[in-house]
Amino acid sequence: MSEQKLKFVIVGHVDHGKSTLIGRLLYDTNSLPEGKIEEIRQLCESLGKDIEFGYVMDHLEEERDQGITIDTAQTFFSTEKRDYVIIDAPGHVEFVKNMISGASQAEAAVLIVDAEEGVKEQTKRHAYILGMLGLSQVIAVINKMDLVDFDQKKFETVKKDLMEFLSDVKIKPSYVIPISAKNGDFIAKRTGTMDWYNGPTLLEGLDAFKTKESANNNPLRFVVQDVYSFDKRIIAGRVESGIIRKGDKIKVLPSGEDTYIKSVEEYLRNVTEAEAGKSIGITTEDKLFIDRGNVIVHDTDMPIVTKKIKANIFWMDRAPLKKGETLTFRCATQEVSCEIEKINRVINSSSLELIAENASEIRNREVANVVIRTDKPVVVENFNKIEELGRFVLGRDDTCASGIITEMEQ
Amino acid sequence: MIVILAIDALEYSLVEEFNCYDLKQKFYGKTDISEFSQPRTIVLWSSFMTGKNMEKEIVSIGDKEMWYIKLDIENTFFNQFKNPKIIDLPGFTYSKEQHENERKLLKEFFDSENDEEKRNIRAAYNNIAFEHHRKIKQEFTSALKGDFDLVLGYFSVADVIGHLNFGNRTMMKMIYKDLDEIAGMISNTFIVLSDHGMERVGIFGDHSNYGFWSTGFKDIGNPRITDFAGIIKEMAEVKK
Repeated sequence: MSEQKLKFVIVGHVDHGKSTLIGRLLYDTNSLPEGKIEEIRQLCESLGKDIEFGYVMDHLEEERDQGITIDTAQTFFSTEKRDYVIIDAPGHVEFVKNMISGASQAEAAVLIVDAEEGVKEQTKRHAYILGMLGLSQVIAVINKMDLVDFDQKKFETVKKDLMEFLSDVKIKPSYVIPISAKNGDFIAKRTGTMDWYNGPTLLEGLDAFKTKESANNNPLRFVVQDVYSFDKRIIAGRVESGIIRKGDKIKVLPSGEDTYIKSVEEYLRNVTEAEAGKSIGITTEDKLFIDRGNVIVHDTDMPIVTKKIKANIFWMDRAPLKKGETLTFRCATQEVSCEIEKINRVINSSSLELIAENASEIRNREVANVVIRTDKPVVVENFNKIEELGRFVLGRDDTCASGIITEMEQ
Repeated sequence: MIVILAIDALEYSLVEEFNCYDLKQKFYGKTDISEFSQPRTIVLWSSFMTGKNMEKEIVSIGDKEMWYIKLDIENTFFNQFKNPKIIDLPGFTYSKEQHENERKLLKEFFDSENDEEKRNIRAAYNNIAFEHHRKIKQEFTSALKGDFDLVLGYFSVADVIGHLNFGNRTMMKMIYKDLDEIAGMISNTFIVLSDHGMERVGIFGDHSNYGFWSTGFKDIGNPRITDFAGIIKEMAEVKK
């Protein structure tokens, strides 16, 4: 197994089979501790029922509560291709908060819909939040096909409804798969129940997704932390993405001045380049005015330098944010004052209900789409392109919100 | 037909936690059993069916013997119905053998000092409780299709299993979901009622000092268990 692990989240209406699907994924990939499934099977039999995979998660959660399993928030399974992590958010609030703050970033999502019930309000809210978080790798599964006699017409009807809504929220699922999590149809294996379906199983679909690319393959973003003048003038910082090399032609943003890398300095090492994740120093051929917060890039594939940003933020301060309020905007090492110019949309992070459009305030634990105007130009990126320059925090005295950038005005 | 789903030790907080929609119905809450010195099963169900506090009378019979009493129908609100079906209710139709078997195993469990033996006793105890539950469920489901004007099904599984396994969340959730499914099968007007709830004591469970109620037709606030005889009589009147 050479590939990195893929983190994904399963969302959908509460009764549409999320827990059963997780239980089934763990069971079909032999990822459950020995004996667990037998315990659940016996309990189900005691109550005169067939095994219900939904209880697998309860069992695992119970062990977590008792400290038996090590990890507290993530569930793992593997296919022949790679390892998977199901990000387990206890509620919407935590999911949205973790996704925006970067605490647990899902790279893909599975949206689950009940074949009998079809698209419900909660399905729509969840899809909306996936769109808001910019998740592009999405599989929709139409579950409980066993309850509709594996009927193709029923599948097509639900699929049509779902696709219409998803197109409104700009989500294009890679696959729409008919499944029965209860019976195991089209999760890990093809069964003879739906010969009319020729697409992948859920695991094949997930295997086709890409893990986050190595930050080395992205364009260079060297974020300046400080400038020291010893016998030479060293610009210290961190390579957030790309690779910086001696001799490279660089541009310093936001000023836009050009120069060349004279040397790459790493403590106690003689190097000529540094890759993503390294904290290093550089010297330049020309003595330019460079300061903390500047971003050094190559002159191809440049970030945006702007004073106007459209973003989704998660507000986490008891005192509401008022439209027009001045806050501190921090992105990488950049720190400037900013004003919330417009609050386009406010959403309840718990119910995912729309609270207001063109609002005047955002209250604690609400998610909002806002327009931010900074008092000086900042170097930023769309969150989905380069995460490190697409994520920011807003603060009064302390941090009050985290956010992800969705659009910038040049 | 009026249906009473009588569930021993149905715990309010678990009904909430496990989202048991059908057990909750439209209106639900806790009962007030503070007039009783202890939440004793026989005392509470006897008080329920007679509509009066039976604590003194029942306790005077003795802890063990009280389980064998069978109240006369004329002393209960069941006499308001022409053709009532009362399934397994303590103090009225409860299976003496079932109770004795459970008590015996419970005693053996707490007397044993050997872990493996304890595991085996617990398994045997759980088995007889589940077996009884399946039997009662079957009887109750059949009664719902019968020609009765009152069906009362008493389910002891949450209490019996809870005493030795209340710390096993998965097991308790499965039981609550099964009871919820039973509530979901009832198409008539029904009341869900418990004598008391249950609180966790390590991995075990002990009776809590309130019960659970739900109805689909009326918010009855924080009723006493003795209020239900009157409420059910009223329901019967309305039906007539």
